[in-house]
Amino acid sequence: METTVNRPSMWVDFAGIRLKNPVLTASGTFGYGEEYAEFVDLNMLGGIIVKGVSIKPIQGNPPPRIWETPSGMLNAIGLENPGVDVFISEKLPYLRKFDTAVIVNIFGYSVEDYLAVTERLDSVEGISAIEVNISCPNVKAGGMVFGTDVDASYALLSQVRKRTRLPIIAKLSPNVTDITVFARAAVDAGCDGLSLINTLLGMAIDVRSRRPRLANCTGGLSGPAVRPVAVRMVWQAAKAVNIPIIGMGGIVTGEDALEFILAGATAVAVGTANFINPRASIDVLCGMEAILSQTGAGSVRELIGRVNQA
Amino acid sequence: MNKLYRAEILSNKAVGRGYRRMKLKAEGIGKTAAPGQFVMLRVTRNLDPLLARPFGIFSTVSGNIIEIVYRIVGRGTILLSDAGPGDELFMLGPLGNGFPAVRKNAVPILVSGGSGFPPLYFLASKTRKRAVVLLGAKSEDCLPPKDVIGGFKKLSSQVRIATEDGSAGETGLITDLLADVLERRSMKGEPVVYACGPNAMLCAVSMIAQKAGIECYVSMEERMACGVGACMGCSIHMNMGGYSRACKEGPVFDSREIRWKQP
Repeated sequence: METTVNRPSMWVDFAGIRLKNPVLTASGTFGYGEEYAEFVDLNMLGGIIVKGVSIKPIQGNPPPRIWETPSGMLNAIGLENPGVDVFISEKLPYLRKFDTAVIVNIFGYSVEDYLAVTERLDSVEGISAIEVNISCPNVKAGGMVFGTDVDASYALLSQVRKRTRLPIIAKLSPNVTDITVFARAAVDAGCDGLSLINTLLGMAIDVRSRRPRLANCTGGLSGPAVRPVAVRMVWQAAKAVNIPIIGMGGIVTGEDALEFILAGATAVAVGTANFINPRASIDVLCGMEAILSQTGAGSVRELIGRVNQA
Repeated sequence: MNKLYRAEILSNKAVGRGYRRMKLKAEGIGKTAAPGQFVMLRVTRNLDPLLARPFGIFSTVSGNIIEIVYRIVGRGTILLSDAGPGDELFMLGPLGNGFPAVRKNAVPILVSGGSGFPPLYFLASKTRKRAVVLLGAKSEDCLPPKDVIGGFKKLSSQVRIATEDGSAGETGLITDLLADVLERRSMKGEPVVYACGPNAMLCAVSMIAQKAGIECYVSMEERMACGVGACMGCSIHMNMGGYSRACKEGPVFDSREIRWKQP
């Protein structure tokens, strides 16, 4: 016997951006979309958060840059990217062909760097929002220096706020004692949304050579291993602030994604899973829809932040 | 064209010296694969180990079947060795840029160090028995399995073997063999070197080729997560400055393009 199942409604409103569904791809794990276009119909995604861009091109760290860990990986890429001008002239025109939100991740080594990229992006069409990376653990200056000092992150984010009409999303570092302090600082600075979490600072050592596994010594831990930490931080931040959150950290399945939604995320981003399965983002979307159908939920929106507390 | 497959294992046999040969069936894979290209294989359905592993393509058995030869070296390959006929593995490929086609007037010299032989075997099969094959290893038990060496003999004009400890073939380094072959210049045609193996060996081979003024193509190894150019993990330092991705611009590079780290 055939049964008709009503497909759950998947659109969400994220800081005034209408996303056709809550599944995004996390910065640094999906290139500039092109790399995955032969595996994924990019039109099916709620949005793409592109690999971080800086004002000038950056070479990145020497190899080895990655190391596999139990259900996860360490990376110290060092934010290699072609710079904002090449992004605008070569990468953005391609992305704009698709019906999906384009969120541009930015970073810099100084406040001036961040502001210059912001202004440059503000002047072009086709960008839905700017995600400000204040949490990269793999560069010596900038990055996490801002993200682990609440005054510095407030100062940076409020300046970025003044330089653009676009919604800004602060990507927070999990390498802090109390995430809610940083979430509130982002709100005070005028941010429209939060992304969390970036990677957890980690290290692995080859006991035979007695050398670190990564040339950079330390790197950022991602993948399923970090998911409980990420869910906890999204839950804490969602209770502390009223701006929407993109939840991420080890999402591989639709069930994983719904954990973040229940914890209080409005949207989710699929990251490391793209590396092990180029279609992971679509699998996550389908998995979410299936669970919502099974549980009789009419829309994903009705689950946001609805974790039952004992 | 890159494709994501659920590949069926047709066979997974131990062939000696710690190696296994695995035949994988996937629609159309053999039609598009070229020597020097690789596939990413997930060795488990579970999330640990997490990442897929790259394997150079050893041969195309038919339009729908490829073969890989791998050595059991760690957790991933141990798990892979447990898989049997009928099992399915997630496979992505063929990936990357392979070796440039061998020119008609060229004499290909294939230089393999340790377990670097699979892509060179595929290349040898396309050279109409013109290749000179040099196989080097620390000792006899690190050489390619015997049936692979036998295959190389059928596919090439000459196979020479060197081991550092002298337990098989000539005693010495693979680079000694290469220098000797180039010095004699007994072959008709222009020699072109194609090499795969550990980085230090590729560096040495590249220096010899450069001194001799001949073309040299190397297949580079670096730790890799995605295989499609997104993770930026498999970076190779280039002479032009900056890095190229082994998975996307490589794994095969003209050796003159690479900024070698001298040992």
